Amino acid sequence: MTATPTSKDASDARSGQRKRRVGANPERLALFFVLPALALVTIFRIVPLIWGLGYSFTDYNGIAEPNFIGLANYAELARDPAFLDSLVNMLILIATLPIWIALPLVLAILIHQGVPGGKLFRAVYFFPAVLSSVIVGAIFNVLLRYDGSFNAMLKALGFSAVDWLGNSSTALFSLIAVQLWATFGMSLLIFLAGLSTVPSDMLEAAKLDGAKLLQTWWYIVIPSLKPIIEFAAVVTTIGMLTSMFGLIYVLTAGGPGTSTTLPEFLIWLEQGKMNRPGYASAISMVLFLMMAGLAAIQIRIMSKNANLS
Amino acid sequence: MSAVAPRERRILWVIAIPMALLALSAVYPVFFALNAALKSRKEFVLNRFGLASSPTFDNFVQAWTRSRLSDYFVNSVTVTVGAVLLLIIVASLAGYALAVLRFRGSKLVFTIILVSLMIPVQVVLVPFYRTMIALDLVNSRIGLILAYTAFFLPFSVYLMTAFYARLPRELYEAAQIDGASLLQVWWHIMLPMGKPALITLGILNTLYCWNDVLISLLVLQDNRTLMVGIAALRGEYTTNVPLLAAGIVLAAAPIVIIYVVFQRQIVSGIAVGAVKG
Repeated sequence: MTATPTSKDASDARSGQRKRRVGANPERLALFFVLPALALVTIFRIVPLIWGLGYSFTDYNGIAEPNFIGLANYAELARDPAFLDSLVNMLILIATLPIWIALPLVLAILIHQGVPGGKLFRAVYFFPAVLSSVIVGAIFNVLLRYDGSFNAMLKALGFSAVDWLGNSSTALFSLIAVQLWATFGMSLLIFLAGLSTVPSDMLEAAKLDGAKLLQTWWYIVIPSLKPIIEFAAVVTTIGMLTSMFGLIYVLTAGGPGTSTTLPEFLIWLEQGKMNRPGYASAISMVLFLMMAGLAAIQIRIMSKNANLS
Repeated sequence: MSAVAPRERRILWVIAIPMALLALSAVYPVFFALNAALKSRKEFVLNRFGLASSPTFDNFVQAWTRSRLSDYFVNSVTVTVGAVLLLIIVASLAGYALAVLRFRGSKLVFTIILVSLMIPVQVVLVPFYRTMIALDLVNSRIGLILAYTAFFLPFSVYLMTAFYARLPRELYEAAQIDGASLLQVWWHIMLPMGKPALITLGILNTLYCWNDVLISLLVLQDNRTLMVGIAALRGEYTTNVPLLAAGIVLAAAPIVIIYVVFQRQIVSGIAVGAVKG
């Protein structure tokens, strides 16, 4: 899910309404209406979160009764090369964030400025984002593997072939590039929505002052988009932590070695292939802490923006 | 930004060229898959990039029948339709209760549902799977429908709550004074009134459910969904690219059609999530 809404809107909108008494016992009925939603979220997400925290302190292997082993799983994480590799891979991925923001931002501004064919570009750029990561991964696997089509094209053009997915120095960057290709349209839409709220009289005023195109971008458009850029940065980072599984699963399976393994994929490997659900739960908790940190940042950004407006 | 100087207009035309190339790159991989799916295996080896010289549907037939994609297709349609309907009903009921009826603790309930966004399936992978086993929902399509609803629900509840909170009260107040029961008000007024938001939710959730791989990988182990089937096909047929490509095209076709038909709703739905509705 891309969007992470705040409770602000709903409470804003509700503030104008008085509570009303309708029917015999409306409060109980209202609670009854919200019960299915609350029950599903509680049973499948909130209770498992607490349960998983418990598992993370055990040696649970999926078969025998789990034994309490304290913080041993967490201590092992600190010296597990596979986990440390997955963290490094994650940091490399996050370090590319400026590209994930700048590319769609520049494209959005250009479309907003009225590049010929802008509407078509918007629709086409977003197209890969509606495809499943399995579809994207399967196609790019055919294109990028050593005997694949991309290398066939390179050879036809006189370049030498590169093992894009099989070489540990290029596999991670191939994975990142494919995911960027598949999802930049999402941020583009977010930026376009933000651009439509930039007051046009400010731009007109700047133009009358003789500001050049790039100057209006840098001094007016981008600063007024700052809250949206921050929002997109947080949403993109959340996506980097939690929506890469499908692509990794189909494109590289985490390899070669651990070179494209991210924490979310390692959780899958440890709980399944490695039969160590207790240990996998400890990685899950680390991932949860990162998510909670990002959510805290997001809430801060959004409440700051709410104060501004 | 309407009035652009002539010189700047010319610059924009020049910039449109690399942008058009990028647009081509966005559609080329799917075109490549479609083109490959229409070739025989031999033709693909001899001529990867050229247009299929004598298009054949053999790969589609083979993928559909021999690789069991037809079964997987039915599975995916069943769970997607089931989950989307359930999401619409549950989110609309919750939105009505949270935005219109309100009760002591409704703000807390709203917060709990939104906070669960911080708990993606990876974070609860092991206990979620244990829960499915305990409830006897592994290998059950109903189990997958419930799981999809639980994991895609927060955004839907948020959107319906915000949407219903903005409706003019006169629309439903009259009915409530008339003594119609709340359930009737929901069915006869809130559900029809919520149509624009519910359509957006329906489309976005269709994409999420159809495209999912991780949750269905855990829940349906004997009886696959289409995406899990394609991932397996990718592993089995590394040398038969046209057959794999045919599977890819079959799996992507419904989404491509939905995108072409409902492009406006999808684009505005994403924007709603970004810049508050």
